[in-house]
Amino acid sequence: MTEMKKAEPPQDISQYKGVMVYLDSFNNSLTRAALEMVGAGRKMADKTNEKLYCAVIGGSTKAMAQEAGVHGCDEVYGFDSKDLAMYRSKPFSDILAGLVNEKKPNILIVPGSKNGRDLAARVAVKVRSGLTADCMDLDVEPDTRILLARRPDYGDSTMSEIRCEKHRPQMATSRPGTFATPEPDPKRKFQVEVREIKLEANQLKENIVSFNQKNEEDITGSKVIVSGGLGMGKPEGLELIRKLADLLGGSVGVSRPIADLGWISREHQVGQTGETVRPNLYIAAGISGQPQHIVGMMGSKVVVSINKDPEAEMNKNADYVIIGDLYEVIPKLIESIEKVTGANPSPA
Amino acid sequence: MALELVVLIKVVPDGKEVFVDPVNFTLNRSMATNVLNPADENALEAALRIKDEHDARITVMTMAPPFAEPFLLECMSRGADQAVLISDRAVAGSDTYPTSLTVAAAIKHLGKVDIVFAGEKTSDSSTGHVGPGVAEFLEAELASYSRSCRYEDGFVTAERVLEEGVEVVKIPTPAVVTVITDSNIPRRATLRKKLNAQKKGIIVWSLQDIGLPSDWVGLRSSPTVVKKMLPFPAIERKGKVIGLDMMDDFVKELVDTGIIRQGGN
Repeated sequence: MTEMKKAEPPQDISQYKGVMVYLDSFNNSLTRAALEMVGAGRKMADKTNEKLYCAVIGGSTKAMAQEAGVHGCDEVYGFDSKDLAMYRSKPFSDILAGLVNEKKPNILIVPGSKNGRDLAARVAVKVRSGLTADCMDLDVEPDTRILLARRPDYGDSTMSEIRCEKHRPQMATSRPGTFATPEPDPKRKFQVEVREIKLEANQLKENIVSFNQKNEEDITGSKVIVSGGLGMGKPEGLELIRKLADLLGGSVGVSRPIADLGWISREHQVGQTGETVRPNLYIAAGISGQPQHIVGMMGSKVVVSINKDPEAEMNKNADYVIIGDLYEVIPKLIESIEKVTGANPSPA
Repeated sequence: MALELVVLIKVVPDGKEVFVDPVNFTLNRSMATNVLNPADENALEAALRIKDEHDARITVMTMAPPFAEPFLLECMSRGADQAVLISDRAVAGSDTYPTSLTVAAAIKHLGKVDIVFAGEKTSDSSTGHVGPGVAEFLEAELASYSRSCRYEDGFVTAERVLEEGVEVVKIPTPAVVTVITDSNIPRRATLRKKLNAQKKGIIVWSLQDIGLPSDWVGLRSSPTVVKKMLPFPAIERKGKVIGLDMMDDFVKELVDTGIIRQGGN
């Protein structure tokens, strides 16, 4: 339990050094978001000439720790227990807070998955520090070692830079898909320390009754996403979007109003209140391009906007702009893809 | 003894009414009215469904200026038994740490509590930190991102919706459950309950009432501070216009640059 009191800053913040990344995992393998955060953490550690620590908690963490090492971590701490094979809020937050108190990192970043956010919020209270959610950019000032946590503002095309100047560690989460996955380097030198953990009964009150792994597409991993917006005008428009997405071996996305209308489930929503995606190809059909949408797809490699309105904001955020009614443009595009590539192209 | 349920709510600007100004392309929210945070409506409904089946009392709670009062009355009109407004000038500017602290202290002041419900996140700042933060301060079990929950014999069984699938967890009370947006259909207010709510009124607590020093909260006691506003990082996109007659060339260009692959190879 964390005693109810104010967030008193530590006396001597110079003891806090380095960057720590919490590694999210599922079924004993790291999530993509975990490796993305290793990349973001590595950049900051290089900038301040400090170490990058990683923490991974699970049933068996050694292989995951190795993977974090080759992707850029200097010291990886694994915590193993048969009781930790699945995420459990209380023991995971106890263990991570314990490692923070031991290693005293200057910065702690956590993947902004559901469990990651659950964990970060609890750890921030336990270590009595500041946490900034959903950062679209993470940077550090080399001289002050202050984390510059930048997150989008609600309903605006601006972002706020948030600082945690007196409390340590400076904590932040970023959504999966915010950063690129770093390239592995099999020759990298790093240290791994795996600890066997014994848990107390009061840490294990949460009983996981079942887990139903979903078969539905997870759009955040797609190389091609075709998204439809209000320009579709009717739910049937999604069939055309789906046809193009299937042809390209990709997924269907939508803007927020389409999910609000209930034409498709929330997992398909791209943007600030939905998913953050960074495919090789993002095709926005009939999407006006509100900042909340742009923020969720700006990491895409190539962006195509199909819109009736030449002035649509989406066009200004696209590499290719096709002006026209999506019901005319998409069938033509499908025809061209079939002609140029053969019947079944696949994403590169 | 009746189950004691608490529902945490927040009043937020209506996202649907934020619109793009046609003159300067900035977002205008001066027209936006306030609404109950969407996920909190689902949190209240989740609590009401427990009350439908069990002897329970629901307290709806928010930390806000007095303008939140009509929203608390609305929650009572839907079936909450009482409403607490934590209102104190000293909490202004609080980030999620002092907010969690204040709310947790108010829940403790209420006495015995079995389940605390909150929305998964608010639609304005969307951190999702306060529910888990409250759980930490109360030493309560936590089921975040839940789409449904049941109560039986001192245990809450909740379905958590995660990226990889749906997890069913069973936790003992006291518990905090954060509820995802659109996970249920909130019931409407009834006229009789509305009249009762108005008669009953709202309980207003200051920091002193809940025993929290005023220098523990507010902007000065918030670890995080917004230092500046920046435009989004500029993305250089060339915006090449493709005519409908250029579609084959466009597709060839995507193939040549490796964005889509030639079929069958």
